Amino acid sequence: MSLTLEIVTPEARVYADTIDTVVIPTVDGEIGILPGHIPLLTQVEHGELRVTKGNQTSWLAVGNGFAQVEGDKVSILAERAITEEKIDEAAVEAALKRAEADLKEGANLDPNEQEHLMGIMRFASTQLAVKRRRR
Amino acid sequence: MASTRDIRRRIKSVKNTRQITKAMELVAASKMKKAQQAALAGRPYAQLMADMLAALSSRVNEAHHPFLVSREVKTRGILLVTTDKGLCGPLNANLFKLVTEIKTPVKYFSVGRKGAQFLARTKRDLVADFQVQDRAPFAEVKVAVEFMVKQYLEGVIDTIEVIYPRFKNTLVQEPLVRPVLPLNNVKGFIAALHADTGTVRDTRHDDRQMLFEPGAPQVLEALIPFYVNRYVYQLVLSARASEHSARMVAMKTAKDNATKLLGELTLEYNKARQAAITQEILEIAAASFAA
Repeated sequence: MSLTLEIVTPEARVYADTIDTVVIPTVDGEIGILPGHIPLLTQVEHGELRVTKGNQTSWLAVGNGFAQVEGDKVSILAERAITEEKIDEAAVEAALKRAEADLKEGANLDPNEQEHLMGIMRFASTQLAVKRRRR
Repeated sequence: MASTRDIRRRIKSVKNTRQITKAMELVAASKMKKAQQAALAGRPYAQLMADMLAALSSRVNEAHHPFLVSREVKTRGILLVTTDKGLCGPLNANLFKLVTEIKTPVKYFSVGRKGAQFLARTKRDLVADFQVQDRAPFAEVKVAVEFMVKQYLEGVIDTIEVIYPRFKNTLVQEPLVRPVLPLNNVKGFIAALHADTGTVRDTRHDDRQMLFEPGAPQVLEALIPFYVNRYVYQLVLSARASEHSARMVAMKTAKDNATKLLGELTLEYNKARQAAITQEILEIAAASFAA
């Protein structure tokens, strides 16, 4: 038995595959999903998502969102998501610096803009954590 | 017959018009590609979100949440999504037709300058006008939606609806009124959404008890505002795709018309010129005979 995993962001369907297990970062900590899991709906917190398929483990960075498990189908709705291979470390670091600088100088930015920048920073640090895990 | 000089002047002006419309067509075409891509890419996301909402609403007692309960409708709240600029064919006019058909009390909110101008001109109750840039950043749409939601919760308006041009394909944009809140008919709404995009809802049904983390009320509390924001955003993206498609088609028609007119004018010009030359020769010949 296996699970189908689908990760969708507003820009694209980032991931769709049949897998064995997945560990999702949620607001209450990580939740591991195995085939036959009972239906579940939960809030996803930005963090590292772990997928195993056969004896391969892959990592993804995900942003805030929601996850649903229903009938061996795991659907994740995330603000942002990226697979490990696609993370460009240099670009992410640059983005992180830029967001930090913007945030620092713009103390009187409107709250929406601030929130947006914070989101970028959080996601950037998650990406770096995922990328550097192997070393 | 008009003099050759007049015709020449007209040919020049038509040529200029053709050049401008041609340039605008090209610009609209490239913007259209981007806008269409954005609108289409967001669809799976909106669908998945709707599916989650369906799963959630069928399992929790939805009687208490203000977003799910329908109340007596005294004042409707309508967000009119139009373009900022004109020259896009009948796109905005079609939306305005829908607006004029509404006879019940409505408070209007507007995205797009054309819509705001129309509402002001026809002296309708325009509460707020929101500027959204052409590439439609989510944060700017969110401001508008959150403002409406606040009014909805305060009871100033009793529904939230969106009037927008739905993007069907490059040639067809359909003006629509889309109810957003209250969400009192989730099933019907989701069926409509799927029929819209031509997808089938996953029928694999799992009716075991569903687990909610951290809890059903919390998830509902988080999912619904999120859903409303995203859903309206998706509608705005669709409106933007419609705008650029309509503009491209309008400009293409204008350009084609200009080309046709140019052909006719050139023919007329050549005829007039030829007639003038013939006349001159006749006059010279007649003069030499007389001499």
